[in-house]
Formats: sequence, structure tokens, C-alpha cells
Amino acid sequence: MNKPSHIYPVALALLAVLFLAGCAGGVRATSWTTLILHDGTLYVADLEQVRALDAETGQEVWAFPATPDLRQYGPFYTVTRLNDELLMVTSYERTGGGLFARSQGVLRALSLNGGRLAWPQPFTAAGEFIAPGAAGDGIFVIGNSDGNVYGLRIEDGTLVWQYPTRGRVWATPLVLSDTAYIASLDHHLYALDLQTGALRWQFRAGGAMADCPLFLNDTLYIGAFDHNLYALRPADGTEVWRFPGANWFWGTPAGSGDRLYAADVNGNVYALDAATGQEIWRSQVPGTVRLGPALSPDGKRLLIASENGALFGLDTADGFVLWQQSGQGQLGSMVIGGERVYVTRINAPQRVQAFYVENGRPVWSYPPQQQ
Amino acid sequence: MWNLLILNPMVNLLLLFYRFLGHQTVLAITALTLVVRLAVLPLTLKQQQSARRMQELQPELVKLQKKYADDREKLAQEQMKLYREAGINPLGGCLPLLIQLPLLYGLWQAIMRTLAVSPLELIRLSQNVYSFIPGMASLIPLQSRFLWMDLGQPDPYYVLPILVVVTSWLSQKILTPPSTDPQSAAMNQQMLIMMPLMFGFISISYASGLSIYFIISNLVTLLQYFVTPRPRAVPAGTAEVAKEPERPKEPERSPQPARRKRGRR
Repeated sequence: MNKPSHIYPVALALLAVLFLAGCAGGVRATSWTTLILHDGTLYVADLEQVRALDAETGQEVWAFPATPDLRQYGPFYTVTRLNDELLMVTSYERTGGGLFARSQGVLRALSLNGGRLAWPQPFTAAGEFIAPGAAGDGIFVIGNSDGNVYGLRIEDGTLVWQYPTRGRVWATPLVLSDTAYIASLDHHLYALDLQTGALRWQFRAGGAMADCPLFLNDTLYIGAFDHNLYALRPADGTEVWRFPGANWFWGTPAGSGDRLYAADVNGNVYALDAATGQEIWRSQVPGTVRLGPALSPDGKRLLIASENGALFGLDTADGFVLWQQSGQGQLGSMVIGGERVYVTRINAPQRVQAFYVENGRPVWSYPPQQQ
Repeated sequence: MWNLLILNPMVNLLLLFYRFLGHQTVLAITALTLVVRLAVLPLTLKQQQSARRMQELQPELVKLQKKYADDREKLAQEQMKLYREAGINPLGGCLPLLIQLPLLYGLWQAIMRTLAVSPLELIRLSQNVYSFIPGMASLIPLQSRFLWMDLGQPDPYYVLPILVVVTSWLSQKILTPPSTDPQSAAMNQQMLIMMPLMFGFISISYASGLSIYFIISNLVTLLQYFVTPRPRAVPAGTAEVAKEPERPKEPERSPQPARRKRGRR
């Protein structure tokens, strides 16, 4: 049989389309999941479920929903503890069906024991809720990929206000007194009235800002993609100083006393004088660093998580890398509780892990490793 | 190596276009698409010429099929001989496409990454941007609002997917020459429907920025088809091979008239 040659290019083009579709990331974004620690329990947004784990042993306490069901819930992205009764959980869910299915961000209030949904209806927004929200004075504030910041009444989830920005909002807000500070990828840090959402001031950086500011010594510290770490006055957003790094600053800085720690995405770790921005020491870890550094309660260890799955323990005195713990999968979030650091991993068989802060020795993994 | 040679240059070129075209993402995507299409122009021209020459050989191929209907081996030999004498590589249409694929995939990746469709894409982008060019980081992420759309999300009103399907169909139609073989014609017809639908499906599911790329790319294909000159007719020897069985008594006859007839200008 004669096969005309133009069939080959057409078939190849078809294959190419399938290849491209398969290889490229879709708009259904994958994100890192969060975990929080409260009163000896870890709350984790873990794929199709929200999970409570015993921080001591890693044993599962409860899961919501009890049986994963993506037609109804999830995948879950973030968890925020509101008070002693409620958790706020966000997910990205499909509505409609077939070719015309759409995804939307969904926010639910879940009882702290995981057994009950507190609001009559979930709150939905067009984009994903990438980062956890923050609460204050009866209002829950959260940013969305649709570019809006939402203020919701904690009691029933009704929308109180919404503030539009010109970029995606992937940062956790910082709520201080009656103001919510939240960064947007539109290069601005906004100070919004907690009750009304009215703009108090805005600070424009030279690049996008993707994480929560740190409040320390009556100053806000936030890094931007323009390679600068900024110190701002919370009252009016005036710049106090800026420190130039080698590449983007993404994660929230850590700090204690007069010392500030930050890492840029190239893995450069900086210790700065919080008052002046003067560099005290500089260290480096291999790999891309997105997460902000975490500081141990005694202030002696600085933990850095790299996107290639490695966790580093640095001496805060001089930045010397004391230990390194490699692992499979990107590190999603990190929280320190007492002598331990807890991390979540993306695309890894062990999705939650606990290590000793002092030496990086593993404590437990969830799900437990098969012997 | 992929990042160094393909992705990084494309990402930074896209960012530069974005900077110099008034921070208009659609214009930047259009400019980058045009540059990439220009870069692969020699290959696509070769691909089109190959398709056209194959089209011109169709009558001769049909005759060979009829003549050697019962001898597949001989048919294959004669077909190869015909291709050889016409100076055509039967796979000549495939190789240019294969070479283009990495560039097109790089273009796709660059668009997805700079639109910051997901945080994981954005963090990867930090390693693609040239830090030695001042001010590049301040361009990120690209402004994704365009008319009623978020270019990082699918078009909610399906206008772009429809345009993608229509332009894909048109470009596919002109790239697929009519076949005299019924089986091939049926296959062509299926492809003509499947390919645009496939692109349409991707447009419904993925970022609108990609739909812009598809549309511009298809329009370039159409433009290229109509403005490039048709290739010269097949060599004289080819026509003689084809006509030999039908005109055994006129071996000396000049093939010029037949060539003029096929050679469209």
C-alpha cells in the first residue's frame, strides 16, 4: 500500500501536541501544602485530605474527609488555625464536567477535631488559595490567585470586604492589631484595614513579593524578586533600609533580637543587623531556596530547606552548615516545635517528616517508611 | 543543557520583548512566536515544498499502484525509484518537524513559566532569568490581564479556543494536499478534524497565553503558504518514468508541456 509521505508530518504533529500537553504544566496548578503545629498536633493539607498527626509519634489522629473523594473535596492546599475550635482549609476543586469543567479555590471552616464543617456554605474564589490566611478580631483574611484579598466573617464565612490587586496573591497576610499586611505579585505590599479592607498604605518594591512579612522590633521585613530585602515602618510603609541579595528573595525572613536571617533563591543565607541591614555573615547551601529560614526557639540553629529536598542546619553564630539531611521530593513547608522540625514534601512517598533540630536526625515519617 | 541552550534564551527573549513592547504580554508572546517561526523558516519551507512535490507525484504514484497492484515488492521499488529521480525524500516532511519540536516545546515552556501559572513554575523561573541583564527580575511575573482574560488561565468564554480550532483547521487544510488515494484521503480527512480539535482541547484546558501562541503560529503558517513561491516542477526524468507505460511509442517526446501544467506560479 502506498502511504503518502504527508501523513507522517501530520501524525508527528499530532504526537507533538500530545507530547507538549503531557509535558507542560497545566493551569491546574500544583502547589506546596502547608502544615501547622498546635498543642502537640500537626495539621497538614495532605493531597485529598486534611490530616491531624500526633507531633510526638507521627500517628494519624484524624483525617478529613475520612475517605478521600476528589469529587467532593480537595486536593487541599493550606491549613490555618483560627482559634481553639476552628481550622480554615483551602482546596482547589473542579466544578462542572467534561471539557467545560472549571476549577476554583474553595475555603472551608473545619472543626479542630476534623469532624464538622462549621460554615453553612464554603467560600469560593476563581483562583487557588496558595497560602494560608490569618485572622484577627472576627475577620479572616486570605489572598487568592485571582488577584483579590478577601476578608471574611469567621462566624459564618460571609464576605465582608474584598481588595483587588493587579497580580496574584500567593502570600500569607500578617495581621497586627487592626491592620492586615499582605504582599502581591504586582510588586506591592498592602496595608489594609482589617474591618473594612480600606487601603492604609502601599509599598512598591522593584519586584514581586510572594510571602508574608516578618514583624520584628516594630519593623516589617520582606523580600522581593528585585533581589532586595526591605525593612519598612508598619505605620506608613516608609522604607528604613534595603539589603541587596544575589537573586530573588521569596520566603519570609526569620529573626530574633537584633538579628535577621534571610535566604535568596540561589541558596545564599544572610545574617543581618535588623536595625541597619548591615551584613554580619553570609553562607551558602546548594539548590534553590524558596522557604524562609526557620529559627530554633533557642536561637542557635537556622534551618534552610532547599527545593531539591535537602534540609540544612546552620549555626546562627557564623552560618556554618552543621548538618544536612537529604530526602526525596521538594520541601513544601517547615515548622519548628521544641527540639524538632517538621516538614512536608511534594511528590515523595514520605509526605511529612520530623527531624531533630540539633543534628538533623530523623524522628518519624508519615506515611511510615516500609522496613 | 536544555535550560542553557533553549529555555533560558527564550525566557529572557520573552522578557525583553515584554519590556520593550510596553509590558504587553500578548505582544511579547506574538514577537517571540514570530522570532521562533523565523528561526525555523528554512525547515518549514522545506517541509512545505516536500509536501507540494509529493502532491505533484500523486498521479504517477497512482499509476504505479495500478500497474503493480499484484506485486508489492516491485511497487515499492518503483516508488523509491520515482522518489529518487524526483529528488524527494519520502520522509522529508518529518525531519524538519522533528528538528522544530525542541524549539516549539521551549517556546511553550517559556510562556507557561513566565506567566507564573503555578508557584512551582515561578520558583523554577528564578533559575532561568539572566541576572546579568539589569531589571529583568522586576518584569516578573508578566502582566496576565488581557481584555476579559487572565492569560494564565483558560479563556472563560471560549473565544480563543474557537479561534485556535478555526486557524488550526485552515493551516492544516493547506498543509495537507489532496490525495488521489482513497485511503490516504480518508486519513487526511480524519487528521484534518482531529488536529484542530486537539489544539482546541488544549486551549480549553491550558493558559490562554498558549492559545495566543497557537493562533499566531497558525496565522504565520497561512501567511507563509500564500507568500512563498511554489517550488519548481519535478525533473524531466520523473515525468518520463511516469508516462513511460502509457506512451511507449513516444519516448522522445519532450515532457515540457506536462511540467508547465503542473508547475503552478
